[in-house]
Amino acid sequence: MNAIIALSLFGISNLFLGFLNNRKILLPATLVFILIALGLNFADWNHEYYWFNNMLKTNNLSVNFVTIILLSTFLVVAISRSFGDDDEHSHPAEYYAILLFSAVGAIMMVTFENLIMLFVGLEILSVSMYVLTGSDKRSLRSNEAALKYFLMGSFATGILLFGVALVYGATSSFDIHGIAQGVAKAKEQMGGAYGPLLYSGVILIMVGLLFKISAAPFHFWTPDVYDGAPSIFTAFMSTVVKTAGVAATYRILSISFPSVYGLWGNPLVYIVCATLIIGNITAVYQQSFKRMLAYSSISHAGYLLITVLAKRPETNSSLLFYSLAYAIATITAFAVLMVVSEAQAKNGKADESFEALNGLANNNPLLAFSLTISMLSLAGIPLTAGFFGKFFVFSDAFSNPSSLFKWILVIAILMSTVGIYYYFKPIIAAYMKKGEVAKIELSPLYKFILILTTTLTILLGLAPDLVKNIF
Amino acid sequence: MNYQPSDFLPILVQLVAALAFIVATMLATHWLGPKRHSVLKDDAFECGIESVGDARTPISVKYFLVAILFVLFDVEIIFMYPWAVNFMGWVKSTSDVAITMFLEMLVFMGLLLLGFIYVIKKGVLTWEK
Amino acid sequence: MPILSVLIFLPLIASLVVAFSPDQFKAYFKWFTLGVTAIELAICIYLYQNFNHDVADYQFLEQLDWITLPLGNLGIGSIDYLLGVDGISMPMVLLTGIVMFVGALSSFQIEQKERGYFSLYLLLTGSVIGCFMALDMFLFYLFFEFMLLPMYFLIGIWGGPRKEYASIKFFLYTLFGSIFILIVMIALYLSVVDPVETAVRIGLINDVSEITPQIITEVQNLLKDLKIPSEQIVHTFDLRFMPDAGNFLPDSWLNILSGTQIFSFSARALAFILLMIGFGIKLPAVPVHTWLPDAHVEAPTPVSVVLAGILLKIGGYGFLRIAYPIFPEVATEYAFVIVAFGVLSIIYGAFNALAMNDLKKMIAYSSVSHMGFVLLGIGSLTSEGINGAVYQMFSHGVLSAMLFLLVGVLYDRTHDRRIDSYQGLANKMPLYTAMTAIAFFASLGLPAFSGFIGEVFTLMGGFNSPLIPRWLTAIAAFGLVLGAGYFLWTLQRIFFGKYWVRQFEGTLEDLTFREKSMLYPLAILAFVFGIFPHLIFDLTNATISELLKLF
Repeated sequence: MNAIIALSLFGISNLFLGFLNNRKILLPATLVFILIALGLNFADWNHEYYWFNNMLKTNNLSVNFVTIILLSTFLVVAISRSFGDDDEHSHPAEYYAILLFSAVGAIMMVTFENLIMLFVGLEILSVSMYVLTGSDKRSLRSNEAALKYFLMGSFATGILLFGVALVYGATSSFDIHGIAQGVAKAKEQMGGAYGPLLYSGVILIMVGLLFKISAAPFHFWTPDVYDGAPSIFTAFMSTVVKTAGVAATYRILSISFPSVYGLWGNPLVYIVCATLIIGNITAVYQQSFKRMLAYSSISHAGYLLITVLAKRPETNSSLLFYSLAYAIATITAFAVLMVVSEAQAKNGKADESFEALNGLANNNPLLAFSLTISMLSLAGIPLTAGFFGKFFVFSDAFSNPSSLFKWILVIAILMSTVGIYYYFKPIIAAYMKKGEVAKIELSPLYKFILILTTTLTILLGLAPDLVKNIF
Repeated sequence: MNYQPSDFLPILVQLVAALAFIVATMLATHWLGPKRHSVLKDDAFECGIESVGDARTPISVKYFLVAILFVLFDVEIIFMYPWAVNFMGWVKSTSDVAITMFLEMLVFMGLLLLGFIYVIKKGVLTWEK
Repeated sequence: MPILSVLIFLPLIASLVVAFSPDQFKAYFKWFTLGVTAIELAICIYLYQNFNHDVADYQFLEQLDWITLPLGNLGIGSIDYLLGVDGISMPMVLLTGIVMFVGALSSFQIEQKERGYFSLYLLLTGSVIGCFMALDMFLFYLFFEFMLLPMYFLIGIWGGPRKEYASIKFFLYTLFGSIFILIVMIALYLSVVDPVETAVRIGLINDVSEITPQIITEVQNLLKDLKIPSEQIVHTFDLRFMPDAGNFLPDSWLNILSGTQIFSFSARALAFILLMIGFGIKLPAVPVHTWLPDAHVEAPTPVSVVLAGILLKIGGYGFLRIAYPIFPEVATEYAFVIVAFGVLSIIYGAFNALAMNDLKKMIAYSSVSHMGFVLLGIGSLTSEGINGAVYQMFSHGVLSAMLFLLVGVLYDRTHDRRIDSYQGLANKMPLYTAMTAIAFFASLGLPAFSGFIGEVFTLMGGFNSPLIPRWLTAIAAFGLVLGAGYFLWTLQRIFFGKYWVRQFEGTLEDLTFREKSMLYPLAILAFVFGIFPHLIFDLTNATISELLKLF
């Protein structure tokens, strides 16, 4: 868990690197920082450690999640291009520092052993994201998004905290294993039933966390915030925040409350179905590529929650594989969106609609190809990582004997067909629509990242056992 | 010891009585008191000084920055009082907890100091550029 | 030499070569593609020559471990790279070789973005041929879905005015079906055990090569008695193990004895219905056929050729390879439904073809009608019927390729596909008229041409089958009359009478050398297979009689 300490220190040093008046050094420095943190993270492999007086715990599952989080952060930082050439209004050193700090928060959310740490991690992550969402100070949409996110997010955190307090009241413990014992004891005393304290506590904790991963009906902030925030931070939000949120949800539900499955499982069934339906159907009607990606991220939260709900022994690895496949594909999509929308900017405003992509393939084959592969992966077409992600999720749902899962499966299948429709819109625009996008010059690092993520997506689609055996 | 919900009845009665008293007094004063309007009486109370202009004027963002920084550092300083009290207790004992505590406070102060340096270098406290 | 892998990977590698070669070789892409498809065709013919007619089982087997997944409590999942051909797939592989070669020749007219076109075309070749040879269901599914992508782009980029609509409709329809197949695939995968690998896991034998039928029976008995710990069970997608009921886990969904009910259907019946929808869309059977006319009308000629010539056959092939052997008892139960849909396709397709004024749409609907015969033959569950169905698929592959090429010839010259725009073409284009007449007559089932054999055998199967009522087959036979109707009427309207073409000033040239070299061999093939049907029946007979033992 030295990664947490290291990343915090790196964040502070990033702040001071900003005084050097040399923007160019920030990007490579941050990348190196993340790689060091990744190395420190691997040191915990194959051990079970408790940290900071049993506040955090690392095991292979958490190391894998941290790897996905840090890898996503690495990719996002790598495509940030030092946040443009605008010296006056952008503060790259601070942005990088805040990204590193929020990675710390995310790591705490996947390793917490104590609910206090969950809360602290969530707050570090959320507060950082509120700031970054509003970082485009001159854009009204960005300001609105930040305020909206802040207001709604603080309510959600409050609800989570309320839930934690109630669960403490029911089980007299903050420790997630202690809570599990407390729940068992309470159930024993009540003769199999559970009291209103525990009931409302679990539900409130779930609501607080589901808000963060934007599952319906707690998703209303997502499109506006994702749309308003600068694209690079939207990429971060829809990958790192989502992975951390799902991991935290899974961690607390599977460790603390497995014995009261009915309590959280039944509502979650409806939440999953609603998330899948709302996310996919609404995405169909979007005119803006970025907004479509926001709704797509809602729908993927639904698929991820299916495995949480399925509660199979394989859930660990399915969840990891899906998160990885989703994160890589989403970051690729945002990488393409960012450069294209800037190149197609009208009156200084980036054009994020589907039309901006028209005719992309003519002059920019690499961008168009990466975009295609990432869309195929998100849609779950074979030979991409996303296909195996869906395959594992469906297998999990299938092997659960409960009859509820048949309905979930039916909805999930219908919705993944709907998904194909809107994921093909950018591909149609890039290859089939008439239009002109001038040749976009990409830096070598940017090209490398595009090729890397595309290759990874195909590689994981050809040989998923490469990582599946690790997870 | 088991409580029945009915055991809480006196509290409920008390609550209702308290609320009823407030409402009753407010209503009573409203009805009974004389009402006289004049320009001076309806004016906002400003320590006897005549009020000028609108209260909602734009204020320089620097005030907010300084205010928020003051709150930040102030709260962190408050943390040192309980620390100091406990620290004195441990120093007198032979345990080496005191050393750990001291080091931890050094780290804490170091981070505060870094933040302070950052704030100064960023030019937040320079009032006029 | 792993000859089947060569068939798959040669075009895939060639596709990469085209995709990454510099622009100055642009003019050679078509020759390169033609060369590759020619080699493919040669290999297919070589396979055909060396195919052992008396063996019902798979030949030229190739097996490699591909993906092995630890599934925790569920055991181990194994996905193999497993190829092989038998009597059902051999004609399809041969057909793919022929149609892809002709398609490549027809692609010479492509004049924009050659690199993308030929690279996608080669990609399509590799995935289609892989689909017919894959014996691992996962591998089959992979090829099955993957071929949609090149097809989607081929229609969507080089297509007609409404290409975006047509291509996404094609894609969504087929994908919708294939997700049903995916579900059945996952269910089968969780139910079926690989007895060979499991025997190795539990230590009955040391190596896969030591397997004997006794060992397999022993493993199956152990399975039945639940004596194998679940961590050691090897789950498989291997299509060779799926027909054997003994390989199903005793309490699994799709075990015939477990009688699992889903939504008050038996799980096996539901799985069969899902497969039927999935492959029915591909076939296409009425009422899920509406993507086909749109796709055909917008697709460029060579893509139409491939679409009608091969892609539709995968639907019928999927029935015979997957749905029928694995769920024989459900297939028997639903024989009437399947045949009813087949007959509906025959009649509905034929009536639509009669009504169409667009030549390409007319032929597309005639495809729907002809593929209905395949469904009729398969559903009859008789030896004649299924043999006839495979024959019909082969014959329709050759003939529909020819028909679409013929439309392409006319469209290249005038850019007009409306039937009522032409009159008396026989005066100006005698060779073209002759070729069209041959293709039309062969398609409507004139004796001595391949279409006749396929239709007669499927109808015979229908009449002989105890599972379906006579009147249903009689209605199907009426489809032949309708077929004669629309083909002959079209022939009369376009070619006979006084020469007249709407809004076309130039002179209509007769067939060029390239067009002749595509059409003549196809015409000869239609004739040869019509006179010597044993060329195909010899291949299919052994395998199909083996298949029928399951029922």
